[in-house]
Amino acid sequence: MREIVNVKELNFSYGNKRVLKNLNLTIHQGEIVGLIGENGAGKTTLLNILLGLLPADQEIKVFEGKPGQKKARQKIGSMLQGDIVLANVTVTEMLHEAAAQYFRSKNVTELLQELNLQKQADQLLTNLSGGLQRRVTFALALIGNPELLFLDEPTVGMDAQARKMFWQRIQALRDLGKTIVITSHYLEEIQQTADRLFILQKGKFVFQGTFQELQNKDKRTIIHFKTKLAIKNFQKLTAVVAATQLEDWIDLVSDDGDATLRSLVPFLEEINNVSIQRESLENIFLKMTNRMETLA
Amino acid sequence: MKTFFEQFKFDAKRLLIRNFSFLFFSLLMPAGFYLLFTKIMISGTTAELSKLKLSYLGSMIIYSGIISAIFGIASLLKADRDEGFLCYLQLAPAKAKYYYGSLYLLIILVNLVAVLILQTLAVLLNSVKLDLYQVLFSILIVGIGQLPMVLLGTCLSYLKKQETLNVVSNLIVFPLAIVSGLWWPLSIMPTWIQKVGQVMPTFFANDLLSSVLLGNQIKTGNIIGITIWIIIGIAGVIVTLKLYHHRGWSFNA
Repeated sequence: MREIVNVKELNFSYGNKRVLKNLNLTIHQGEIVGLIGENGAGKTTLLNILLGLLPADQEIKVFEGKPGQKKARQKIGSMLQGDIVLANVTVTEMLHEAAAQYFRSKNVTELLQELNLQKQADQLLTNLSGGLQRRVTFALALIGNPELLFLDEPTVGMDAQARKMFWQRIQALRDLGKTIVITSHYLEEIQQTADRLFILQKGKFVFQGTFQELQNKDKRTIIHFKTKLAIKNFQKLTAVVAATQLEDWIDLVSDDGDATLRSLVPFLEEINNVSIQRESLENIFLKMTNRMETLA
Repeated sequence: MKTFFEQFKFDAKRLLIRNFSFLFFSLLMPAGFYLLFTKIMISGTTAELSKLKLSYLGSMIIYSGIISAIFGIASLLKADRDEGFLCYLQLAPAKAKYYYGSLYLLIILVNLVAVLILQTLAVLLNSVKLDLYQVLFSILIVGIGQLPMVLLGTCLSYLKKQETLNVVSNLIVFPLAIVSGLWWPLSIMPTWIQKVGQVMPTFFANDLLSSVLLGNQIKTGNIIGITIWIIIGIAGVIVTLKLYHHRGWSFNA
């Protein structure tokens, strides 16, 4: 598959503070890549370097050229943190202005329909809610009909319905063969959408791969059931590392789900509504970034 | 060219047609000052008054130019940069070249409109006589004479905080207007202020414009002065841009 982005041994510092350390990254055409990390991990800095907004001396290729080159700019759409809310400008005017910058831009009316923004077409940007302003910023990222999209915290401020529509658009863009790099704090959404994950911690990649591969690295299983018995009966079962109780519901976190299930057999008469879950991306991420322990 | 016209149309709507405060400060305030100083606060012989009406016309044209350049360009550029619009354009294929072109053209056009408004007021209300040569030369002088101010406004727009920009703009505009003799004759100022004032870009532009309006001979020193200030302004913008590029374009980096 065609390589769209290639980064080799990237280091970057703000003054004396090194924020990216020896990063290697390859993104192929048609992939959706989730870039996740805590605040300050370096996600936005990495995106800004790939967009050519920050200078980097290392070998970085975006569409076989240096980041920020004119040829690449024609094929890239970006949605950075913060919305462009110009005074005295309507949604349609803003999109027409943006469309004029690109050779093969999308039709403004069609784009407004696609993103369900027709009602806001003639409204001033300053009169829109935060979620609608974010949607207009998404429209600005799409207006140039890009092949590669960089989306930095795209769903911040959107309500549940708008977020759902946003991820549906992302799926539709995937079907069109677009390449997408997303950072988000809504890890559940990233988990469902991204083909590959890159986890950044303190400027370094601590994981690169699919969610499946990440889950396989983490053997933990959560066994969830309802019982009238006290939690102390289950805390010492085989491979149980943590147990929590909320009214009649108990969650057992196990290092070996099969062994724990076998040790639950004597209690089968007393428990019901059993469900077994693998760790979510959010939990794995929290553990990787050592926050689970801090929270516990 | 189509991209430039789209950009110009977009900027003219948002920054001019729908922006009353900008129009007020750039066009109406200098016109108000002109009428105040030439219709109400006046004394002297008929010959002195007709000279005052012409020289004050030039002063208010230049004053309008300073306001558009420092308060206009600087705060418009800063607002667009802070909103991330410049960053967005920087990522677009044509980068921000059409944007800058459109903004500068808009500011120059506003000043040309200010020239026409002030000259119309002078002719209709103060019975000042102007020929076509004087009108055309005024427009030319305003176009070139305000370039140093436009470049200075561009540099100021890179100040980090809006509050700092407001303070610095006020500290530049009003003292500059006073020491350049735009409000009161420079001759009534202390000698050292006169010496400072006579090397300011606004003094050169005002003196040049006064020569045209009063029918005096144009001094080469004024043209050289403006040219030197344009070169200084360009150097200032280049240094500012280099520093900013070094820091990175992104507004949230």
